[in-house]
Amino acid sequence: MIPTQWFLILSAILFTIGVLGVLTRRNGITIFMSIELMVNAVNLTFLAYAKQLGQTHGLIFVFFIMAIAAAEAAVGLAIFISLFHHRDTIDVDEANLMHW
Amino acid sequence: MAFDLTDILLSVLKIAIILGIWLNITPIMVWVERRGSALIQDRPGPNRVGPFGLLQSFADALKFIMKEDIVPAQAHRWLYTLAPTFGLFPALTTIAVVPWGRGFLIPEMTVFGRRLFEGGRWFEPVIADVSAGILVVFALASLSVYGITIAGWASSNKYSMFGAIRASAQMISYELALTLAAVSVLLAAGSLKLTDVVAYQTGYFVLFDAVKLPAWNIFSPAMWLSFLVFSISGFAETNRLPFDFAEAEAELVAGYHTEYSSMKFALFFMAEYMAMGTMAALVTTLYLGGWDIPWYNEPATFLGFLLSFLAFLAKWSFLMFVFVWVRWTIPRLKYDILMRIGWKFFLPLAIVNIVIVAAFIAARWI
Amino acid sequence: MAAEFAIFFLFAAIAVIFALVVVLHRNPVVGALSLVASFFALAVMYVLLDAPFLAALQVIVYAGAIMVLFLFVIMLLNLQRAPEPPTRPIQQFLGYTSSAFFGIGLVYFIVKYAVTGAPTGQFRATAYDIGVRMFEAYIFPFEMVSILLLASIVGALLLSGRSGAGSRARIGDEVTK
Repeated sequence: MIPTQWFLILSAILFTIGVLGVLTRRNGITIFMSIELMVNAVNLTFLAYAKQLGQTHGLIFVFFIMAIAAAEAAVGLAIFISLFHHRDTIDVDEANLMHW
Repeated sequence: MAFDLTDILLSVLKIAIILGIWLNITPIMVWVERRGSALIQDRPGPNRVGPFGLLQSFADALKFIMKEDIVPAQAHRWLYTLAPTFGLFPALTTIAVVPWGRGFLIPEMTVFGRRLFEGGRWFEPVIADVSAGILVVFALASLSVYGITIAGWASSNKYSMFGAIRASAQMISYELALTLAAVSVLLAAGSLKLTDVVAYQTGYFVLFDAVKLPAWNIFSPAMWLSFLVFSISGFAETNRLPFDFAEAEAELVAGYHTEYSSMKFALFFMAEYMAMGTMAALVTTLYLGGWDIPWYNEPATFLGFLLSFLAFLAKWSFLMFVFVWVRWTIPRLKYDILMRIGWKFFLPLAIVNIVIVAAFIAARWI
Repeated sequence: MAAEFAIFFLFAAIAVIFALVVVLHRNPVVGALSLVASFFALAVMYVLLDAPFLAALQVIVYAGAIMVLFLFVIMLLNLQRAPEPPTRPIQQFLGYTSSAFFGIGLVYFIVKYAVTGAPTGQFRATAYDIGVRMFEAYIFPFEMVSILLLASIVGALLLSGRSGAGSRARIGDEVTK
């Protein structure tokens, strides 16, 4: 029986790596992938607690997060394609149309 | 979850049996394919190496090993080399959850004064009977897209790239129809486990108080649409003709594996035939009653296991022949038609079938 | 059991290493594939947590669908040919240090304060249990998610579709150039 805290620590490490990606990278799709990584780390936490507390609610949340991540990926990638059509790059620093 | 050395050895035995069959699919199917196409097109086919050209495939395999392994200068070296293994991994693993015979009780026996299988031991002829069952097949099969996509991208060749993009679009689209078609069967069986799906099909329908039909899903009117969608989507999912847009010799040279040579090419070939084998095994399990022999109640002994295993092999071999048969009989479609029927025809049909099955269950007909 | 711990550490290491590759590697195709490997390792974690159903879903949804979409877009946009952007040392430094602090703090607080209450019931994560729970207690959110998915399909088609290239897609260009 693996202690729940180990899963939580793994999840924290993965989440931190995701944060690192969002903070340091400028390639839009890599940033997006880092966000997916963070979402997955959160899923792991939900599941670890669901197991610990013997409840199904955490599992349902994982289920919903997966569905919403799919929707998010579709719309996000469409936005990046559209950005690429306009600017020929997906560097997020170049997406400054609404910047003052 | 206690297990001892005997369980591990039994698992190794199961894996050895399946792997032995699985690795030999490719040479045998290549021979069947070539002789079958020759039969259909009224020409002799390979007949020089060995009786009926049976050893031709092994000669081909030897040739593949001896050939020079070329890596294009512009290719991404790492991914170019890894791509065939990405393709082969799902093909090798998906078969693990498919049951291939009736379970039986191994009796206690004494060999060289040692008691083996104390108190008897149940032998279930499936490598991994997991509770997620068929979802594992779909999960691992969904990874097979990567082999093709990465192969196409890493080759740095526009034909490979087109083949890869077509193939991944096609496989993602048809995966939906395939999965939804299978949902009908799972709904009726009430379980995701493939062993339960087969057990559900071992009974009988009685028609007009006279005819006893085996309760295979293919005989149930609620499943006909689902069977049609599943088997046709299976062709698309394995990139076989009439849906072979990943390769499309006439337009894309050889599609995603244009740049591949030697054993790497042979690995793609093996992956394709193994995917075919998995698809045939799935159709057998979901619709043709798996290892069930009609009008015969297999005993839970070794004999029963052997008979049911042979029944499974017979159904499976027939389906494999159908793959070849269709390939050399039906002309290929256009790509836009393929996508259109996938999304606008098969997907709605699969959903309609789920509703039909749900209605049947509500009416207590199945 | 020793085997369980070995599997945990092996796949935890795989998940972390491939996650680092995603963040640090220049080539987005390699990044996307590493993310697939990382998600696969996470699916193994789900199996260790007695939820094989969710593990299968994780592989189907993330590895099989979402990441294929990513890979598809990266390939279509041909991003690996894009020039490497110049690094900005101050931002990089701030990013690394702040995320390091964040990570250390997170692990510290988990070790110190993580709630480890006693189980209130038997943990069952089969398709049946999840289905019953979802269609009894969570039916309204479930329907909302289906509407959200529909909206995202329409949104994605609208954003990436080229049918209006002559009119709509030009608007941004005129403003910027």
